[in-house]
Amino acid sequence: MRWFFSGLTVVVVCATAGSLFAAQELPAKNPLDGNADAIRGGMGLYRARCADCHGMDARGVRAPDITQVWASGRTDAGLFKTIKEGVPGTEMPSNPRVQDAEAWQILAYLRTLAAPAPSDPPRGDAANGEKIFRANCAVCHRVKSAGGRLGPDLSRIGIARSRAAVLRRIRRGAEDFGQGYEPVTLTPSSGAPIQGVKKNEDLFSVQIMDTRERIQGYEKDKMKSVKNDTQSAMPIFGPDRLSDNDLDDLLRYLQTLRGFDPAVAP
Amino acid sequence: MRNGILLLLGLALALSARVAGLTAQQPPPPLVSAQEILDGLTADGSRWLTFGGNYSNQRHSPLTQITPANVNRLVPQWTFQTGTLGNFETTSLFRDNVLYVTGPQNVAWAIDARTGRQIWRYRRELQPNLTACCGLVNRGFGVLGDKLFMVTLDAHLLALDMKTGAIVWDVTMQDYKNGYASTIAPIVVKNKVIVGVAGGEFGIRGFIDAYDAQTGKRVWRFYTIPGPGEPGHETWADDSWKIGGAGVWVTGAYDPEQNLVFYGTGNPGPDYHSESREGDNLYSTSLVALEADTGKLRWHYQFTPHDVHDWDSTEVPVLADITIGGQLRKVVMFANRNGFYYTIDRTNGKVIAAKPFTTTTWAKEIGRDGRPIELPGHTPDEKGSVTCPDITGGTNFWPPTFDPTTRTFFVNAREACMTFYAWKPDYKAGDRFTGGAGQRGQGSEQPYGALRAIDPATGDRKWEFRYLTPSTAGLLTTASGLIFSGDAEGNLLALDSRSGKLLWRYQMGAPMHGTSPTTFMLDGRQYLLVPAGTTLTAWALPQ
Repeated sequence: MRWFFSGLTVVVVCATAGSLFAAQELPAKNPLDGNADAIRGGMGLYRARCADCHGMDARGVRAPDITQVWASGRTDAGLFKTIKEGVPGTEMPSNPRVQDAEAWQILAYLRTLAAPAPSDPPRGDAANGEKIFRANCAVCHRVKSAGGRLGPDLSRIGIARSRAAVLRRIRRGAEDFGQGYEPVTLTPSSGAPIQGVKKNEDLFSVQIMDTRERIQGYEKDKMKSVKNDTQSAMPIFGPDRLSDNDLDDLLRYLQTLRGFDPAVAP
Repeated sequence: MRNGILLLLGLALALSARVAGLTAQQPPPPLVSAQEILDGLTADGSRWLTFGGNYSNQRHSPLTQITPANVNRLVPQWTFQTGTLGNFETTSLFRDNVLYVTGPQNVAWAIDARTGRQIWRYRRELQPNLTACCGLVNRGFGVLGDKLFMVTLDAHLLALDMKTGAIVWDVTMQDYKNGYASTIAPIVVKNKVIVGVAGGEFGIRGFIDAYDAQTGKRVWRFYTIPGPGEPGHETWADDSWKIGGAGVWVTGAYDPEQNLVFYGTGNPGPDYHSESREGDNLYSTSLVALEADTGKLRWHYQFTPHDVHDWDSTEVPVLADITIGGQLRKVVMFANRNGFYYTIDRTNGKVIAAKPFTTTTWAKEIGRDGRPIELPGHTPDEKGSVTCPDITGGTNFWPPTFDPTTRTFFVNAREACMTFYAWKPDYKAGDRFTGGAGQRGQGSEQPYGALRAIDPATGDRKWEFRYLTPSTAGLLTTASGLIFSGDAEGNLLALDSRSGKLLWRYQMGAPMHGTSPTTFMLDGRQYLLVPAGTTLTAWALPQ
């Protein structure tokens, strides 16, 4: 098998698959739930196709924790559609090549990892969390069209990442960088170094957003050096900078961020 | 009045002369002869008639107008856009100032090479539920006489009229509903059109076919998986041979002296699940040498016995006669997806030299008997095991080149590893049948690619040019000492083929994926033709 295929082809096949799919009746419940063979097959499929982003334990790496999805009210049929059709506007792609049976196998496996809904009442005060966010985070992160652009937009962070994953990020800093947010320092032949995050790169050029949010491309041969930084621009907020209570408030606020519809009423 | 009558008479005469001018003339003799294909790339640059330029697949052009000194002055002459979805993976044929080009989605064109303007277009309706695993692509035409030959995604072979694009004949190779597809560029040997089928992920039983170029009648079929009673059949446990894959989707080479064709064969299926098909699984992941007239197997060499990593040996075999240890040897050179480079005696299939050209963790070396000395721990299971190279491999179907003047083999190599998983699959006709998958490493070293120059006498590396990420571009070398390549970020690159020094680059906006540049002469100028993404761009030096 060749590993590559064109994105455009995927779109076409997806459209075709989508229309075929619409003509069929989708079971509301996973027909393979609890089936031992399906769970085993689903584990392999999950690891191969999903674990890069969702983690081997499905608790989320660069993508949401999916051990919580049933507890948060998602249905088998809805999750099936998410696997097949993706989530528009996010990194979750459509998967037209995943066959129906394979999607159900993946869900049968994920069911075995599913966690019950947390019984503890949610901690923290979202209103205070929002104030903390504006004071500390909004210079780089955008929520609903307000805030900085250097870091990722957090308008749907409440569903995109688990509370634990966000907490880790705040307390311990970034363990890896999402595409488009890798820190880079360019040193021109003359003048001060330019720091920013990498938006694109090839052998000869690099395109960045600098710390003043200027987007700009640079030719590498005009630079003294182009250095990939190992340290994220995101500061580590230890207990000295952010108390446990304030962290609870902030996380509570972030959990309320569940998407943003930019449509303007006519 | 009289003058008027004379004028009218004159006009009538002139008109009849015009009409006479439009009267059909006796058609010229068939355009492309078997001898011309045999001659390959000639010094006048007037044609490119077969996938690799020559039957040897060297992709080494004798043209010298574009040189290391002037390559940086290349300017685009025109760009052709497909107007289809999907990317080019084709090698364009060139004859009498016209290009014959296949594209994705069962579309093909004749294009004026002077201007990039379409002369005709052929389009075949796509069947629903096609099983081509990795894109609705095609790798090019074959040609003989006034016919072009093209395979289709629904596993047909077509002959098209070279002048109009109309179908002359249409033959079904196999039922696409059972997982068969075809994407290969045919080669024409004498009066036969030789093709293969894809479908190693769909439980096919692979084969190589030869069809009569005139009639479309099948002349022979070589099954890449032997049937009951045939030698090699015993290398498949139980009934696994019936659905064992071993597709053939990359064009082979032809040696006129021995009258043999050489084809690399695809992975056994299911791809990853070892227990589903115990045994060596002949002739999957092999090089097979077949008699061109009969399809009879002369010899075979299996690169990866019982492959469990989807390492199709559908890379391009390259033929040359080279001096090794003071002896002139007839060899076939082969950089394999499994990470090893091989120089093989093409008269008997014996390995002369074999050495890794990328990181390989699955085998220590290739033993004296030609069999890899495998290392333990590389059979995928449900828990997963890390192996290098990854699924895509040390290289893949993108064409390498060979420069005979410096005795150098060039290949775009990949450095990448992967966790492979396997589980027992169920077979259902026409459905995907892989029994596992691969997951790219997390936190490990970033995969990268490199253009590598290899001495075929030893397998040693002469130089490399590193890319940021793995490239999937094919190559072209020229007698002026140039090598053309591309990176995954869309740069078209020209390098000095002796040193690997970068001489020129241009950002195409899409990478050459599986395609190589080609070159030809037109009106006294050398053209460089580059298929990248959905565009075909012609370059030349300023006039």
